[in-house]
Amino acid sequence: MIPKALAVSLTGICGPDGVIADRDRLLVYESDALTAYRHRPGAVVLPRTTDEVRRAVQAITRHGLPIVPRGAGTGLSGGAVPLGGAVVIGTARMNRILSIDAANRRAVLQPGVINAELSAAAAAHGLYYAPDPSSQTACTIGGNVAENSGGPHCLKYGVTSRYVTGLTVVLADGSVVRLGGQGREAPGYDLVGLFVGSEGCFGIATEIEVGLLPVPEGVRTLLGIFDRIEDAGRAVSDIVSAGLLPAAMEIIDGPTIRAVEDSVFAAGYPTDAEAALVIEFDGLEAGLDAEAARAAEFCRCAGAREVRSAKDEEERLALWKGRKKAFGAMGRIAPDLLVQDATVPRTTLPAILKGISEIGKRYGLVVANVFHAGDGNLHPNILFDRRDEDELERVERASKEIMQICVDSGGTITGEHGVGLDKKHHMPLIYGEAELDTMWGIRRVFDPGEVLNPGKVLPEETDPAARASRDDGAVGEKPAAAPAPAHA
Amino acid sequence: MSAATDTLTLALKEQEEGLLNCVHCGFCLPACPTYRRLGDEADSPRGRLHLMRAVVEDRLSADSDAFQRHISRCLGCRACEPVCPSGVAYGQLLELARQVGGEARRPPLLNRLLLRVFGTGWIARPAMFAARMLRATGIPALSARLLSGDSTPKGARLGVAMLAASGSAGALPEAADPAHPASDPAAGSDRSSGNGTPPADSTPPAAPTAALAASPPPTTVGLLTGCVQAGLFSRVNEATARVLEANGYEVVPVPGQGCCGALHAHAGDLEAARAMARRNVEAFETAGVDLLAMNASGCGAAMAEYGTLLAHDDRMAERAAALAARVRDVSELLAARGPLPGAEVPMQVTWDAPCHLLHAQGVASPPTTVLNAVPGLEVLPLAGAQECCGGAGIYGLTHPRLGGWIGADKVRSVLDSGAAALVTGNPGCMMQIGAGLRLRGSSVPVLHLVEILDESYRRAGRYRPEVP
Repeated sequence: MIPKALAVSLTGICGPDGVIADRDRLLVYESDALTAYRHRPGAVVLPRTTDEVRRAVQAITRHGLPIVPRGAGTGLSGGAVPLGGAVVIGTARMNRILSIDAANRRAVLQPGVINAELSAAAAAHGLYYAPDPSSQTACTIGGNVAENSGGPHCLKYGVTSRYVTGLTVVLADGSVVRLGGQGREAPGYDLVGLFVGSEGCFGIATEIEVGLLPVPEGVRTLLGIFDRIEDAGRAVSDIVSAGLLPAAMEIIDGPTIRAVEDSVFAAGYPTDAEAALVIEFDGLEAGLDAEAARAAEFCRCAGAREVRSAKDEEERLALWKGRKKAFGAMGRIAPDLLVQDATVPRTTLPAILKGISEIGKRYGLVVANVFHAGDGNLHPNILFDRRDEDELERVERASKEIMQICVDSGGTITGEHGVGLDKKHHMPLIYGEAELDTMWGIRRVFDPGEVLNPGKVLPEETDPAARASRDDGAVGEKPAAAPAPAHA
Repeated sequence: MSAATDTLTLALKEQEEGLLNCVHCGFCLPACPTYRRLGDEADSPRGRLHLMRAVVEDRLSADSDAFQRHISRCLGCRACEPVCPSGVAYGQLLELARQVGGEARRPPLLNRLLLRVFGTGWIARPAMFAARMLRATGIPALSARLLSGDSTPKGARLGVAMLAASGSAGALPEAADPAHPASDPAAGSDRSSGNGTPPADSTPPAAPTAALAASPPPTTVGLLTGCVQAGLFSRVNEATARVLEANGYEVVPVPGQGCCGALHAHAGDLEAARAMARRNVEAFETAGVDLLAMNASGCGAAMAEYGTLLAHDDRMAERAAALAARVRDVSELLAARGPLPGAEVPMQVTWDAPCHLLHAQGVASPPTTVLNAVPGLEVLPLAGAQECCGGAGIYGLTHPRLGGWIGADKVRSVLDSGAAALVTGNPGCMMQIGAGLRLRGSSVPVLHLVEILDESYRRAGRYRPEVP
């Protein structure tokens, strides 16, 4: 709980209904979409403007409390979990699109705008916002900026950082800075680039300027059906090696197919298949059919038993819906799931997929795979029930082993979900102490007091200052000022 | 916690598997009218499920302000269900949560009173009679116009305006073209003729007369006359029977039926709802109808779920499920038969989908099929047509501020649509939106779907004995 004086000043800033300080009501903010990590916040504030964020940050830090920014809480790495009784600054009410400049293909928005709603608003101008995380109907652009989110179409179009051109940011000390904006090439250091993907540790973005793209003239969407997931992996690798550049290539494995087909988002994937490969080409009409035909041929050569193509927009959307709602549909199989997010070189996909399946078998766990195959960005979903403690333990070990084989193959520990709380401890798998200390140095420039999203991204033990007070998600440097973590 | 609360918490615990289906993905947040406006996740479906699960896990008391406030603040519109990849049965869980919450802390007097009125025939009938008398005096209509200031409590103003809004819309515009007299039966049978104002994006109905001829014994339907519907909207019930008969259904009287229990179930008074359900199962079984016709989508959704409601009743479970499977919205029955075209009703309308039709029953296209079959009628798009109007049973009366906010947004989009009338399919929505329009000083009427079709048939002379 926060001190009464702080509650009073926050109420003065955000209004009585903009501050949640009741212990029971705060329960719903104890986790994001990765429910394995749960910590109750000290309070939640829901500002509407940059100025309200600035004043809230100042009030909270004056009381020595840490701050965690939160969008829609759809994150999958525990990034929005408030450790150490932190105060959550939620952006749910900062949901206005401030301007769409169609001629310059640019939009300025508040961070709480939902990703898909930006594209919907831009559609009136024949434009759209390219990064399309699977949670795009719910996740916010502010969250996308924090996580540098990707999505199926990032294979061709790139991730969030490619589209963010300017930011208004409230820093940990309550100052407001303007990064980038207007012209793309700002002289000096690329602070926008540095900020995007900083997972709420560098500041709170309160206004975001993004680039928009024209809606492509034509689209072709194929569905390859495979009896072995390795074959689907091979098809992906062959298509890319041949020089084709699909907009997206997604693999949905057998267990996931069955979960999706059982849901309201049934896409018509055959339930006896072991893999469905969705391939999409977009761009100018001319040439699309030839590209699609070549990709279909690669699928058949790799062992696809059938290759279909979406007849119309309705079929295309159904195919995609099945893919994009797959994560939620897992709830039909098991009450909890741990989504991994590793990226591996594409050519190693068949071997890694086999390795993951073996690890799952060894630990007696169901692992469902649904992922951005074109990027080599794997999402093994380990299904479990958190009420079974033994299973929870096996999940942790299996998860670590999966991560290890990905790293051993030349991959990395996250593709797009961020490090957050979940993968913090895997950071030493890919970075040495020198690299991690460099990152700590950069973080201190923005947030010397470790006020913003403490306990995330960087493992404490590499940082000399924090070594003294590690573990428990404690707040690094000010254990005296911060109350004990509110374990739920 | 009392022993009774423990027993009821058990009921929620039994549903733990249902709660566990929620993986916290958050896809429901943007679909929720209360979350969209308040921005507090405790007022989102995911947040409410989280609170329910906390009660089951003994981390939260059902008597806590948090549980009471956020569970009661849900509209029950169920817009979260069609967007849930895990298929969480939110509506059912909400009813259980309200039962648990209501046992832990007595609901406000107003809620209890309203439910008592609707659920008890000998109170409901005179109460509805009194309401009709009051409506006939014109005082509610006048008051709704005069009480625009802030001096009157919001709930009272809304109540008066709702009563006024339940009245008939009056005459609809006649066809302008004298070449097609409104009473000419032929005008309806050939929709391609007429005065050059074909209905927007409609496909001609599939040869209705042939379809009728091909269905030998007429399907018998029993109409749920309802409590509010019978009390304040008897004209809608009468119109429903007429348009169904015109489309070849035989409407059979169902004596002994009563309130469907929807309001009680939504409020968590599941025992009262079950008693009403049992009575209706008996009544409709005795009437021996093929299908059950619903012209109030809230009632339709409730009756379509009688199987679940009575699942633990050994004597009734199977019968209730069998009956529930025969529940149809009137728009479905009509769309299945074309419907038969009538004469021109030249006006621009817009359609607001009742939540319990679209989200709870998944009935999306039949209402537009019916509207598009009316010659001369143009259906304009309504922004946010899939969102709740804030009426939500007795919500508009129990949560006047939030319900009023949601209602005001609906009224604004109705006015922005430019339509001359709003059409919907549920008495609660008709009164809520109608009241909102009146309080805004607008004269745009709110009509039930069947009222338009009925007028079209009347003009076409379909109700004359000699016309088939």
